[in-house]
Amino acid sequence: MAKILVVDDEEHIRLLYSEELKEEGYDVITAEGGHLLLERIEQDKPDLVVLDIKMVDYNGLDLLQDIRNKFYDLPVILSTAYDTFKEDMKSIAADFYVVKSFDLTELKKKIMMALEASNGS
Amino acid sequence: MNETSMLAYEENPEKVERADLVVGLPSHNDAAHIAHPTTQADRGLLDYFGDKSSVIINCDNHSEDGTKEAFFQTPTEIPKIYLSTPPGTVGRGYNLRNLTAKAVELQAQAVIVIEADVKSITSLWIKNLGEPIFAGFGFVAPLYVRHKYDGAVANGIVYPLTRSLYGRRVRQPLGGDFAFAANLAETYLNHPSWNDRVGQFGIDIWMTTLAICQGSPICQSFVGRPKIYQNKGSIVPSDPAFSQVVGTLLELMIHFEDFWERVKWSKPTAIYGFGMGEVETPTPVEISQDDLHQSFVQGFAQYQELWETFLENNIYNKLGEIRELPLAHFSFPSEIWARILYSYSVAYKNQSVEQEALLQSLVVLFVGKTLSFVRKTERMSSQQAEEYIENECMIFEEAKPYLLSKWGKG
Repeated sequence: MAKILVVDDEEHIRLLYSEELKEEGYDVITAEGGHLLLERIEQDKPDLVVLDIKMVDYNGLDLLQDIRNKFYDLPVILSTAYDTFKEDMKSIAADFYVVKSFDLTELKKKIMMALEASNGS
Repeated sequence: MNETSMLAYEENPEKVERADLVVGLPSHNDAAHIAHPTTQADRGLLDYFGDKSSVIINCDNHSEDGTKEAFFQTPTEIPKIYLSTPPGTVGRGYNLRNLTAKAVELQAQAVIVIEADVKSITSLWIKNLGEPIFAGFGFVAPLYVRHKYDGAVANGIVYPLTRSLYGRRVRQPLGGDFAFAANLAETYLNHPSWNDRVGQFGIDIWMTTLAICQGSPICQSFVGRPKIYQNKGSIVPSDPAFSQVVGTLLELMIHFEDFWERVKWSKPTAIYGFGMGEVETPTPVEISQDDLHQSFVQGFAQYQELWETFLENNIYNKLGEIRELPLAHFSFPSEIWARILYSYSVAYKNQSVEQEALLQSLVVLFVGKTLSFVRKTERMSSQQAEEYIENECMIFEEAKPYLLSKWGKG
């Protein structure tokens, strides 16, 4: 069972993602923000991270850089309410991005693709 | 020296025997241009790698325009070495092979390659290409700000195909300016896939592909300024450069089939080099849609019989429909383009068509695809065009089962 870490400062998003992804058979853990995120990844060893971009205290794109530098192959999916982030070239270090929605079809598809890409390498 | 070395001449006035870091400037008749990148390399090495021993190497094709003299006459604090292939041996790949062999001899930990005719280089390029190597990456590819029509072969063929095959998103696989670590240098010198095409313009995609397939950690480094170089040619490269690049790509598919058949979808690389201030706008690339359309239509008549021998009927028929489209409605669907490139790779492997003729015939279809890209993105910003290319890459990845079935792996 793949373990997914959902990082988002909005509690209702963490709950929504957690419930829906558990129904898909994933093991889901959550984090409120970027504080000690790298340590958390080191400790919990998720197979994939779903990362919010605009959090109160953290910029997800900066966290993405930190994750990519330390955990080179760990799949990261950016989750955002806006698509203006694509203007920042840091975003290309993500495996995929999804626009936040209550319909998680796209997120689930991207999670599956990212995990398949990891397993195939 | 490796048996396929093409080194005929070396000048090492300061008798450098060891260097941690090498900056290489491959050249051919670049006397008018080489001073600027040499100066920037010197500054970059002094400012950002002052704690390391360094050398700047001009690896040349026996230029007769005074490139060597211009290189040595450029004032630098960092020592310089000049290498050359024998007279008559011309090729960027041969230059880089000589550079790599010399770097191994010097026991260099990192090699940075900068094109000798690049006008827009600053010393920061040296920092941003070199630092990731010392941070543990094996290969550093450049990320430039480019006009949406610059780098057409990379955008339309090499990037989407490399990405779908080998599963790494290296946006500028033909960038020309890059860096690699010592362990890859040994791989480059000893790999059996070296050939004459690689010795020429096939070298960049060859080095990028080998780095990916060796499992070397890859970083893309943002160098900030748009890439501006002196010998700016047409949007469609002239032959034989096209054949050398695409031929190398198809040849490597045969060599690495066990690797790419296992790859499903693609993954990003690490990114380095942000926070460099305001990014400049790249110089526009002028395109004549009429010329591209005329070139496509004229070439079509020449090669349609050849295409009929290896393309599936539905694809061949679709090409016929595209041929009939007037310029105002011209469109070359990406789904068809992906299947055509996959079909070409299979025909190349099976040698069902003479390989050089096959590559020549692809130029015509590439012109058509480029015209379609230009039309679809003409009102788009560079950012929007970039997203369009990303979507095209996804189409290639989704169509990969077609390749596997045609290749005999499905």
